[in-house]
Amino acid sequence: MSATVAETPTAPVRRAPVVTDRTKAERRLGLMLCAPAVIVMLAVTAYPVGYAIYLSLLRADLRFPNDRTWVGLNNYGTVLSSSLWWSDVFHTALITVISVAIELVLGMLLALVMHRALFGRGLIRTAALIPYGIVTVVAAFAWRFAWASSVGGFVPKALGLSYDPLDPTHPVTNYLVVILTEVWKTTPFMALLLLAGLTLVSEELLEAARVDGASAWQRFWRITVPLMKPAILVALLFRTLDAFRIFDSVFIISNGPNPKLETVSILGYNQLLNRLNLGLGSAVSVLIFLLVAVIAFLFIRGFGTSLAQQRGET
Amino acid sequence: MRRLVVIGGWVAAALWLAACGGGSSGGPADINVWVFNEPSGAFKDAAQRCTAGSNGRYKITLNALSNQADAQRQSLVRRLAAKDSSIDIAGLDVVWTAEFAAAGWIKQWPSDLAAQLKKGTLSGPLNTATYQGKLYAAPANSNTQLLWYRKDKVSSPPKTWSEMIAQATKLKTHIEIQGAQYEGVVVWFNSLVASAGGTIIEGNKVTLGQPAQKAADVISQLAHSPAADPSLASQHEDENRLAFEAGTADFEINYPFIYPSAKSDVPKIFKNIAWAPYPAIDASTPAKAPIGGINWGVGAYSKHPREAFEAAACMRNPQNEREAAVKGGLPPTLASLYNDPAFVKTYPFAGLIRKQLENGAVRPETPAYADVSLAIAKAVSPPTQIKTKGFVAALRGTLEDALKSRSLL
Amino acid sequence: MSQSRGSRIAGWGTANSLVILFALFPVFWIAMLSLKSPSTISDGRLIPSSWSTENYKQIFKQAIFTDALRNSLGIALIATLIAVVLAAMAAYAIARLDFPGKTLILSMALAIAMFPPISIVGPLYNMWRNLGLFDTWPGLIIPYMTFTLPLAIYVLSAFFREIPWELEQAAQIDGATPWQAFTKVIAPLAAPGVFTTAILVFIFAWNDFVFAVSLTSTSAAQTVPAAISQFPGASQFQQPTGSIAAAAVVVTVPIIIMVLFFQRRIVAGLTAGAVKG
Repeated sequence: MSATVAETPTAPVRRAPVVTDRTKAERRLGLMLCAPAVIVMLAVTAYPVGYAIYLSLLRADLRFPNDRTWVGLNNYGTVLSSSLWWSDVFHTALITVISVAIELVLGMLLALVMHRALFGRGLIRTAALIPYGIVTVVAAFAWRFAWASSVGGFVPKALGLSYDPLDPTHPVTNYLVVILTEVWKTTPFMALLLLAGLTLVSEELLEAARVDGASAWQRFWRITVPLMKPAILVALLFRTLDAFRIFDSVFIISNGPNPKLETVSILGYNQLLNRLNLGLGSAVSVLIFLLVAVIAFLFIRGFGTSLAQQRGET
Repeated sequence: MRRLVVIGGWVAAALWLAACGGGSSGGPADINVWVFNEPSGAFKDAAQRCTAGSNGRYKITLNALSNQADAQRQSLVRRLAAKDSSIDIAGLDVVWTAEFAAAGWIKQWPSDLAAQLKKGTLSGPLNTATYQGKLYAAPANSNTQLLWYRKDKVSSPPKTWSEMIAQATKLKTHIEIQGAQYEGVVVWFNSLVASAGGTIIEGNKVTLGQPAQKAADVISQLAHSPAADPSLASQHEDENRLAFEAGTADFEINYPFIYPSAKSDVPKIFKNIAWAPYPAIDASTPAKAPIGGINWGVGAYSKHPREAFEAAACMRNPQNEREAAVKGGLPPTLASLYNDPAFVKTYPFAGLIRKQLENGAVRPETPAYADVSLAIAKAVSPPTQIKTKGFVAALRGTLEDALKSRSLL
Repeated sequence: MSQSRGSRIAGWGTANSLVILFALFPVFWIAMLSLKSPSTISDGRLIPSSWSTENYKQIFKQAIFTDALRNSLGIALIATLIAVVLAAMAAYAIARLDFPGKTLILSMALAIAMFPPISIVGPLYNMWRNLGLFDTWPGLIIPYMTFTLPLAIYVLSAFFREIPWELEQAAQIDGATPWQAFTKVIAPLAAPGVFTTAILVFIFAWNDFVFAVSLTSTSAAQTVPAAISQFPGASQFQQPTGSIAAAAVVVTVPIIIMVLFFQRRIVAGLTAGAVKG
């Protein structure tokens, strides 16, 4: 999607030097029609973010309602010097990187199947959409109940495990279950985004390569992937940002405080809504926002250069 | 068109007035009580009796909160901070009084009702309902933990923690106790510190010292011994009860609710259940057992405060407290019941409980208790991962930050 | 590659089966779990040893669940309605009209799509607290609308660009009034896109957990995802596993039905939004 933003999706504007009444009316109508949506979007995102920045500069704790003092950047100091914050960032990054990597591979495979299946394409697409549509909380519960010995999951029994995989003292299995849940839930979405890119790869080009003797592997890596680069980068961008914001599955699977599994969103939630410490919680929220913005910026920058490269090549 | 708008405006205004004004006209006041789903139904019975006895003055409805204390608190604080008027009475854990009172979420009791309440209530529970000398809640039931054991397997109950660990190891059995990272493990730690002669916080200052080191050592010792339940790090009171009822453990440190539960669930094992005082750190100093319980607080934004106060006072009158004890195992807060021989017959451990309540370990009373509890829980759970070296210094630092709302938890 | 047709069919058959197995297994498991009788819930078997619909009976008796269902349905439908209307207006303008700021609006929508919801949960809680919107339907409808608008605008503008708008003029030349031209010619062409967008928005609202668990707390406005995570269970001491499994199945059924019937549309909508947007 960012490609079109860079190239503007609007039709090239060729206006006469004089702005006619008709154009003015059209412009006004256009702006008026967009206004409600824009107002809602700004009011419910920009204003709260500004408010969060304001709150983060105060000592604001709802348990001491009369004690609001200006503390400047103290809250940020507390957060950034806390080992809890940094370990949560690490947990979040770990989950993000691993799940997105797996999703990319599986998603590509799924996209290929959806694209080229000899039969049953409708059935496959339906089946693939179910993880997408399912409530995340439901998926998390399904995976948790399958793996937790304490509620009679069948996996520990089937694998002959002597311990409860979801016990907080076994971080590796906890991560495994969270990543499995995330991968299961969002691979179909990734596959759909990649599918959109796959359909743009021209069949004649592939056919010509096949005639020339290129193997399927070579065709895939030399032709399909490079032509799909925009789609891959878009899919990566959205999934990475999504994965970084992970909340639902970790909340359900950890079933209570689990410091080795905690992610930044859960940290923010705990400070804001359980401790009612609006100052610290807002500082965490703003920092998360900045991190997401940085990731997006890096992606778009990298995307922009690769797009320029592509345009330069062709 | 203009006319329609004007008429519409009047109609809307009329409807709005009707909706607003309707509440104060006749009919019993709707009192909503928010409390965990007490399994024996004793609270429900109390609510019904009080509604009937009010002669139409109020009607009590029980609403369920989560079964876990932490989740109950989360729900209540979020709603009271949002000025929720649908909370008339809240079932408050004893450690929340300071926090709720300081934040202005519960109402102070009017002096006439407070005086009535103070008469005949045990001093321990009464203190948990007071903040800065003023009464903020009505003690509904108290609670303490006993050492429950299987008298068919254990000949004489242990008096100290080390003794218990040794006995359990010899018998190749488990000790059931709460080790998950939540309030339950803080209760354990606090009792150990008090039993070792120390305190955690007094007023606004952190008073952690050598007794805390002793406490950490005891927890660590139990967690690393073969007597520890393998799921210790994820166990709450319920998991302990279930394991004891399943027969995999011969020792249990838990509240008396397990007694009526065992009576109905596992009658064969029930016949062999005996109880002993909470273990001490060393044989010469008696232990200080945990003091828990529930107090009824009146929500600050309740629309019927006077009726709420009366309803709360009624729900903990002698008749209701007696039933809660016998049916649900909840220790009463009224001294008269402990002196009543008929009651003691049906509540056999009444004497031991009263003794423990009179000399129990109260948890720190500070408005920042939630943060203090979080800090302690993180330091001692999972119990197998306690850093016993430098424990006191590290916890001191975290607690000082917690008291000033300065740390990330 | 000269593979026999038979082995290719077998190959694709396997691939298809793997996909279906992957997609449906967790759903199958939770459905099996929900049909176990309460005493055998923790027996660790995949297929119930004793079947029973007790869990379903239990949850429909509990107000926490039935109220949550009502809340979810109402909130999701209203949010969908408003979001689609607002997005349709904006998408129409973007697809058909020429005005300054189009790029800006699309970039803003994009930025919002990447937004971390947790960053505004705190301020929203405080704002709603002061406005009396905490634990109310509007308290959830407003954030849901906001976060679905970007996707809705992108998908709808992609669809609207495909519509041959000249048909409208042609109909008017043929003698239809502007209203008739709109309802009889344009609306049927726009309907699939609008419908698809509505489905995508509904799925988002139905699924949300972060806002629901932060901005609601009682049956007044709590939606099913939040309620499921706070089930008290049949009695105080029993793990509510059976109830959660049954509730999970009940809340998944509408999604499965939607996906079954509208699979083609949903795929078209998502890929259109992705490619064109």
